[in-house]
Amino acid sequence: MSEPAVETPFSDRASAALRDRFLQEALGIATTKFIGLRRESFDGFPQGDALRDQARSIKEATLERLDEHLTRLADNVEAAGGHVHWADTAQEAREIILRLCRDKGVRMAVKSKSMATEEIELNEALERAGVTPVETDLGEYIIQLAHEKPSHIIAPAIHKTKAQVAELISQVAQAPLAADAEVLTAAARVQLREKFLQADMGITGANFAVAETGTVVLVTNEGNGRMVTSLPRIHVAVMGIDKVIPSMTDLAVFLAILARSATGQKLSVYTTFVRGPRRSTELEGPDELHLILMDNGRSGQIAGPLREALYCLRCGACLNVCPVYRQIGGHAYGHTYPGPIGILLTAMLNGTESVKELAHASSLCGACKDVCPVRIDIPRMLIELRQHIGEEKVAPRTERVVFRVFRRLAMSPAAFALSARIGRLLQRPFARAGRLRRLPLFLGRWTDARDLPPVAARTFRERWKDLR
Amino acid sequence: MATRAQFLARIKAEVAKSSGAFPASSAARPARPLEAAIAIRRQMAERWPEALDRFRAEFEKVAGVFHRVSTSAEVPGAVIAIARDKSAREVVAWDPASLGLDLGPPLAASGLPVRAAAPDDTSETARRRHRDEAARADVGVTGVDVALAETGTLILLSGAGRPRSTSLLPATHVAVFDRRHLVESLEQVGVLLEAVHADPRATSGAMINFITGPSRTADIELTLTRGVHGPKEVHAIFVDEPLGSEDWS
Amino acid sequence: MITCLADMFFPDVGVAMVTLLRRHGVSVDFPEGQTCCGMPLFNSGYREDARELAARTVALFAQSEHVVVPSGSCAWMLKTEYPDLLAGDPALRGEAERLAARTWELSQFLVQVLGVTDVDSPFAGRVTYHDSCHLLRGLGESRAPRTLLSRMKGVELVELPGADECCGFGGSFSVRLPEVSAAILEKKLDNVERTGADCLVACDGGCLMQMSGGLSRRQSRVRALHLAQVLAGDQS
Repeated sequence: MSEPAVETPFSDRASAALRDRFLQEALGIATTKFIGLRRESFDGFPQGDALRDQARSIKEATLERLDEHLTRLADNVEAAGGHVHWADTAQEAREIILRLCRDKGVRMAVKSKSMATEEIELNEALERAGVTPVETDLGEYIIQLAHEKPSHIIAPAIHKTKAQVAELISQVAQAPLAADAEVLTAAARVQLREKFLQADMGITGANFAVAETGTVVLVTNEGNGRMVTSLPRIHVAVMGIDKVIPSMTDLAVFLAILARSATGQKLSVYTTFVRGPRRSTELEGPDELHLILMDNGRSGQIAGPLREALYCLRCGACLNVCPVYRQIGGHAYGHTYPGPIGILLTAMLNGTESVKELAHASSLCGACKDVCPVRIDIPRMLIELRQHIGEEKVAPRTERVVFRVFRRLAMSPAAFALSARIGRLLQRPFARAGRLRRLPLFLGRWTDARDLPPVAARTFRERWKDLR
Repeated sequence: MATRAQFLARIKAEVAKSSGAFPASSAARPARPLEAAIAIRRQMAERWPEALDRFRAEFEKVAGVFHRVSTSAEVPGAVIAIARDKSAREVVAWDPASLGLDLGPPLAASGLPVRAAAPDDTSETARRRHRDEAARADVGVTGVDVALAETGTLILLSGAGRPRSTSLLPATHVAVFDRRHLVESLEQVGVLLEAVHADPRATSGAMINFITGPSRTADIELTLTRGVHGPKEVHAIFVDEPLGSEDWS
Repeated sequence: MITCLADMFFPDVGVAMVTLLRRHGVSVDFPEGQTCCGMPLFNSGYREDARELAARTVALFAQSEHVVVPSGSCAWMLKTEYPDLLAGDPALRGEAERLAARTWELSQFLVQVLGVTDVDSPFAGRVTYHDSCHLLRGLGESRAPRTLLSRMKGVELVELPGADECCGFGGSFSVRLPEVSAAILEKKLDNVERTGADCLVACDGGCLMQMSGGLSRRQSRVRALHLAQVLAGDQS
């Protein structure tokens, strides 16, 4: 499915996703699998709940002294021989990286999976500047070849069939490859191994950065995180300011729950600790490490209603359980970060107006909050977003009128009772065999897919006099 | 462009505005990490047999291949068997001091050249040569700094004579360890990490890697495959007799 | 508290609840000024309007010893959100907290307050139970309804695969994003029909509206009933 234009209304994008049969099947299988893996992992892990409480507490404590932790992080990264850069905005982050590429003669950069670099649309900027970015996480590599964006935070190519992947990787191999995961993985290994060895620069995000030691921590499964931080001569890590944590002891708490939440693994295959560039005693490693600390709208929420969203570990658990995400997938959301947390992050990065439709892309079922490893109360913040959208008069007029009328009726029992009598009258032409099957105006949206019960012949309050 | 001072000032101002609505506390750090680490080692001196059993079970769960030998002298034989099984022609290894044994002579005798990482030459030529060797090798042999039983994880510090790529580039990674490397829980690892960073002499390299099984992905239609970029197989050889390698703490 | 949906669309649920409570020796009153707990307004972000309704509701039930609600969402609204909504006025907030402590979803009231687990009811058949989101996650209740159902003599309770998955109602969500809501519903109903149950039971009017609407549209032989109706022996 090709990249949908962000200008189309969200509901249209959602409908298109519903009609995509392969997407529907892939989403169903993938999310069901992840849900099962996560559940199994936490079922056998009684300390899990307490660790989640502790993780949230650590994130909250870190926010309370965020400037101090960032200061200490920066000092320690520099003490270890790294360089620290400060980017207020996505644009500044891009400019820092482009400048480094120019100054250091970088022609090709290998990238480990990083949502932060997606957020700042780095690849496009690099290409425009004549630098070739190569995504090395297999899922990201696939979608890069397809000129698409990721559709899931941790499984970016969930929406692609084996056949589609075979076509993409075969083109690079210049030979037809079977639509078999082993064959394609082996081919990608060869294709990307060459890139790792030739690249001038390795670009990563950071899952965590430990302030006490100046260590950037990467959590991966494929090994590309290790490759890009050990083989090219320059390593650039792009990091949102929300990723800093105080100490190694804190880190152990997060490591205990992150992989479990994401994929049900006890730990991901590789947890990589990068503390500065290579030491003079090492044969391998980058000569330079550049850590870019990025704000891009985050600090605005420290004292804001979306503060809790700053705890996010980018594990994807909320996507997997969200009834909406499970039906429409990531692309329909139209922004870098999809799913429940994605709505909040989009509001954080792009402002409330950017989510005037997305804020309602939720049935408020609460499954996301249930599985969040740091207990972010996403439903509560969605309601608050809806409130701001309403207050800023961003919501459509008809909607506000409908709710105003509802409020009036609910404030007056007499009016409420009268509305039942009116409803009974109005529904007569539409009632068939005790059901309403086709209704006009916005009520048609209900009856397009399901019946509506009619207003009862006698409401409860009308029957009460017989009951009391 | 933002300056550090402006950047941090803005954050500080926002932090000052907000109040804590939720419980907030960072984890309690060990007051004396180096002593705490020694205490863990002492504990493990008793508990290593259970830890080993647990390690083996978890390691195998993540598709690790476990071997056990009684003496260091038997290690080369085990490595050769693995290499033959993989039709390997070249082996790279940590330097003998880091490994706790010298694989060179016994493997050479079996027709398997071992390129051990030289700890003292980090010239540009040496680095380039090393990279080529590592990229060509079929098997990489390393030691281990910590073997975490709870998750079947091998923890390796990089440094002089212990390059990062030995456990990364070859398709088969073989790790050799003994009882002194075993710890039981991630929590204990947290203490050890505090200790390592509290002691400036403890590390000679800039990287630490936790390795939990071979490289894997499920990015293609959720089908699990191994050896995407890192090794396809990880072998752990446990030696009953303590190796000659450096102790962590 | 009967709830706006039950009053208008499912009065049998209200009647069943009254019958059931009286059978267990509870004297029941219906403060006639009640209309809606305000959740639809609250969920769509009309906080001020929801606050007004909350203030009104709190006053209305001030004299009630217990407030029993055949709805997990409404009970959740009163217990969890009312105190916050009315936080601006300390007196009202106090009233809201007192109300929250006296408010019960029906199954919780039966099991926790009345200590009833075995209900004598003529209802018989194979039933499957759907966990409404606010009862399950908001109020942490998944056992009480299952206990009550499984201990009924004529009832065979079959576990619904994905019982804890949303039915797709979400209030105004069902008309804002009707296709997505319908797709979620279809998945739910496919699971329901696969259980071979005759009857689908839930504890929330919104879920029942959504699921019964879907079942009748697909002309399913499965009926959707509220727990109160099943326990009261309502065969309608």
